[in-house]
Amino acid sequence: MPVPISQGWTVATYLLKQKLAGRKRYPFVLMLEPLFRCNLACAGCGKIQYPAHILKKELTPEECFKAVEECGTPMVSIPGGEPLMHSQIDKIVEGLVARKKYIYLCTNALLLKEKLHLFKPSKYLTFSVHVDGQRDHHDFSVCREGGYDQAVEGIRAAKKAGFRVTTNTTLFDGADPNSVRAHFDEMMELGVEGMMLSPGYSYDKAPDQKHFLGRARTRRLFRSILSNRKKSWKFNQSSLFLEFLMGKQHYKCTPWGMPTYNVFGWQKPCYLLQDGYADSFQELLDSVEWQNYGTESGNPRCANCMVHSGYEASAVDHTFSGLGGLWATIKSMLAGSYEDADALQMLNEPVKPVHAFNPLVQISSTNSAMEETRA
Amino acid sequence: MSAPSHTDHHSARPTTGQSAANAALDPEQLEVAPGTARQTVEGWIPELATDADIRSALEEAFEYRGDVTITRKDGAKIEGYIFDRSTGNSLATSFVRLLPKDSNNRLKISYAEIAALAFTGRDTAAGKSYEAWVKKYWAKKSTGEGEASIQPDALE
Repeated sequence: MPVPISQGWTVATYLLKQKLAGRKRYPFVLMLEPLFRCNLACAGCGKIQYPAHILKKELTPEECFKAVEECGTPMVSIPGGEPLMHSQIDKIVEGLVARKKYIYLCTNALLLKEKLHLFKPSKYLTFSVHVDGQRDHHDFSVCREGGYDQAVEGIRAAKKAGFRVTTNTTLFDGADPNSVRAHFDEMMELGVEGMMLSPGYSYDKAPDQKHFLGRARTRRLFRSILSNRKKSWKFNQSSLFLEFLMGKQHYKCTPWGMPTYNVFGWQKPCYLLQDGYADSFQELLDSVEWQNYGTESGNPRCANCMVHSGYEASAVDHTFSGLGGLWATIKSMLAGSYEDADALQMLNEPVKPVHAFNPLVQISSTNSAMEETRA
Repeated sequence: MSAPSHTDHHSARPTTGQSAANAALDPEQLEVAPGTARQTVEGWIPELATDADIRSALEEAFEYRGDVTITRKDGAKIEGYIFDRSTGNSLATSFVRLLPKDSNNRLKISYAEIAALAFTGRDTAAGKSYEAWVKKYWAKKSTGEGEASIQPDALE
């Protein structure tokens, strides 16, 4: 099951309380970054470009708990850096489980098998494993040959030990939709609870600046991937957010929806942009000039963004905004496979990245996936 | 090391002109994100002759992916990473916040206290581009050596 029933209930009641209280800006998921250090150096990542003395810093469990209490969200995502490299990650997870927070520990899984003994299976804990596609595509994306095999080994070990496991997949210009669909099949065969996907954000600190999808291309890519979808695919994301990626919904950004806390404090304004830091969550809410962010603001740094950290909160807010939102959600959940003949045809088109990208894309055949989809 | 001159240097952030150009683009029609034009400022010692020079250099230091060294007007030097800045109407009401290389104590320094600035730390993203990775991958393949990867920097 992508989300435990208790989690769905807890999140729904939390959101209704925010609505009933008339809170204009409320957080949905806390993004807790307990360290920036990582054991990968992905070219498209803008989260780890710090000098060594910063990479060595870690939030203490107490600092994490304080941030979680301050923010008050029922769900806590723990990205990084690689959280399994944190010297007290077990204590952080244990403390959050004790507080009945639903945790998504985002990991590249290179250390998952080795560190699994530090954790206990719980409905509150999900390992969200970063897998950017099939073996070669993932390895190219994370700049590490063998990374995919280690991630899959970690997933298998975690599933065998009784843990909840989901995947998260970031797509860049040059992604092959047929391969992504085959990747979904492979992940579901591994027994993951659900999958998350998102276009990559154009971090201005990332080494790579050429392969971030623009909005037009994002919509086409996700339409080709997510239309004509298989019943076996399970996504642990808002169905309206997936429709947004396919170009079927239009949302404004909710930059406060997934606030970020790390070794510098509360990041302004959102998980992706760094415009300074606030010392408290309230200061973050009060001091950011929110109208300056989001694609609709005209801010060039927000121009290509369709990332879940800004827009999934918008989709969820839509669901709870009244009967119209509820009806849109029900319709999207009942939509089934999203049959779309044009999207099916798009799977037969060659992948044409604007800049040279993964050379493996040009090698792989697209016809087999097309035939398989029609079967 | 010869530092880039101010004229060699391009801001990581879009300039006002760039912002206007980007704003003219329709984000909904973008095929790929324009990306950030970034030239190396590693080793750069900006001239801080005017208030505008100071503001511009400190904005760049805030964007920098490495440590900088600030020399205060009392002669004290602090090397560290600038993680925050707030700009007021005057240099006295504008601040950077920095984590020193050798301490956990966050420092808040007024722009008015700053006599000199140098980009002394290494740009931590240098050499890790996608193109560098693809080149490394094919080089490994052609020589039949083991698995290719871009490794994170050692912390020592």
